Amino acid sequence: MLLFPFVLILTLVAASCCSVLAQSFGYIPAFGLTKITLSYYIDVMTNPDFLRSLGISLRIAGCSAVLSAILGTLVCAALVRRRGTTALYLIRVPILVPHAVAAVFMITLFSQTGLFARLAYTLGWISDSCQFPQLLYTSGYGGAILAYLWKEIPFVAYFVLALMSGVSETLGEAAENLGASPLRSFFLITLPLSMSAICKAFLIIFIFAFGSYELPMLLGVTYPKALPVQAYLAYTAPELRSRPAAMAMYGLILVVSVLLSALFNAAVRRLSHGTGGAA
Amino acid sequence: MRRRVFARLVLAVTAVCILFPMTVLLVWSVTGRWPWPLLAPENYSLRTIRELFHGSASLPRLLLSSCMLASTVAVLGTFVGILTARSTELYNFHGRELARRCALLPMLIPGTVFAVGIQITLLRIGLADTAAGVVLVHLVVAVPYCITIMADMTRAVGTAYEEEAMVLGAGPLRAFFSVTLPRLVPGILSSLSMGFILSYSQYFTTLIVGGGRIKTLALVLIPYIQSGDRALSSVYSVAFVGSALLVFSVFEFLLRQTRLDSR
Repeated sequence: MLLFPFVLILTLVAASCCSVLAQSFGYIPAFGLTKITLSYYIDVMTNPDFLRSLGISLRIAGCSAVLSAILGTLVCAALVRRRGTTALYLIRVPILVPHAVAAVFMITLFSQTGLFARLAYTLGWISDSCQFPQLLYTSGYGGAILAYLWKEIPFVAYFVLALMSGVSETLGEAAENLGASPLRSFFLITLPLSMSAICKAFLIIFIFAFGSYELPMLLGVTYPKALPVQAYLAYTAPELRSRPAAMAMYGLILVVSVLLSALFNAAVRRLSHGTGGAA
Repeated sequence: MRRRVFARLVLAVTAVCILFPMTVLLVWSVTGRWPWPLLAPENYSLRTIRELFHGSASLPRLLLSSCMLASTVAVLGTFVGILTARSTELYNFHGRELARRCALLPMLIPGTVFAVGIQITLLRIGLADTAAGVVLVHLVVAVPYCITIMADMTRAVGTAYEEEAMVLGAGPLRAFFSVTLPRLVPGILSSLSMGFILSYSQYFTTLIVGGGRIKTLALVLIPYIQSGDRALSSVYSVAFVGSALLVFSVFEFLLRQTRLDSR
């Protein structure tokens, strides 16, 4: 009874996934397409543009998630055992700031006419704006990654903080009382026991950055596009055939996300069993 | 204490990294002309602010529609969160573990995929291009977070007091509403604020499901960024972040009040 609204929401999610998959196999009655076929998947997967897009998206997601997890843990470690609340408020601000605004930050600071380029010019390091290293609008997607980092490092720190403070104030302090150096107690006790939250945050960021549209669209290049941008382009294209092809791309985003999270969870579980950690 | 110094340093760097871009944003939002390679604007102007109120999408209307959408999502999300958390945390039933795991499932399905997939269903039930459809889709994004927050809170509150009330003769509903619910308030406030913020900053889902008819602040901001007008994209960003911060501070204030009251 109590679960009813939630089940309703899960049904919506399931319905939406089924609809994406059905359309990607070529079943779109509204367009007069009813033949079930794998050809759209084969088309998409043999297209070198798709493979580049997939690579770009994996790269954006991988870099953002790994760096956010590491740096976020560092910030979290600095926050642990602090009594003041100002830092705690501040760390939550980027969580409130939408991704589009993070894109504006990157443009005003890191573009070739941005504030840092101006600073470099004033200091005499460069003599023209195009000498400033191009971070935005390149196939490396450095701008999108930086924008994700701005948002997600504080997210990791905040997400892990509750667990890490608990561990640090009990077991970490106990280890220090028994003579371990703060560094040793952090790496041998606090960090391993906080790993479950860090891994969860990592996965959330990875999946989000892999499948989201705004940042690579705003800060990316026309070629190669990130996968969600490529898929949306096909989705809005007027030709009839491009709809199932778009859905095949969305289907692949879905499959990759689900597979990666399953694999990741399995790996985390095995590792935590291996070390006997209470994950 | 080297450890202290190190922690302070990390936090100072973090604070600068968070606040510096926001300061630059504020400056840009009232900039008239800021040509390369000047380090400060050549002149300031209120053109941007005027544009906010007279442009094609006037701010007050956008704020109103965005806030109404986000509040609806926050309230519904929190409602679902309370119910779901109660059943998975306090009752034993078959599939309880499964339900707990499923609670996080929508987080692992990219919003872009969900939005294009649900579109056909929404068309069929007549919710495409409507505010209700947008609310529904934002709700799916927000609910996992609301459930997580409410589950922690529900576990912390437990059933001891509720049972005591029932032993003393209160009906189950009365016991819940007058004993447990007030204790859940801190969680409810966090869940409301989380749901609000998540809905407030949605772009892609609103674009797909709203079909351009449902205008929110996020939807209007993106074309300004694409057009390359830094002053205008900054002023909309300031409005966006400012209103989000305002809502967040109100919830934080309320949260602190309830904590003080319960002491």
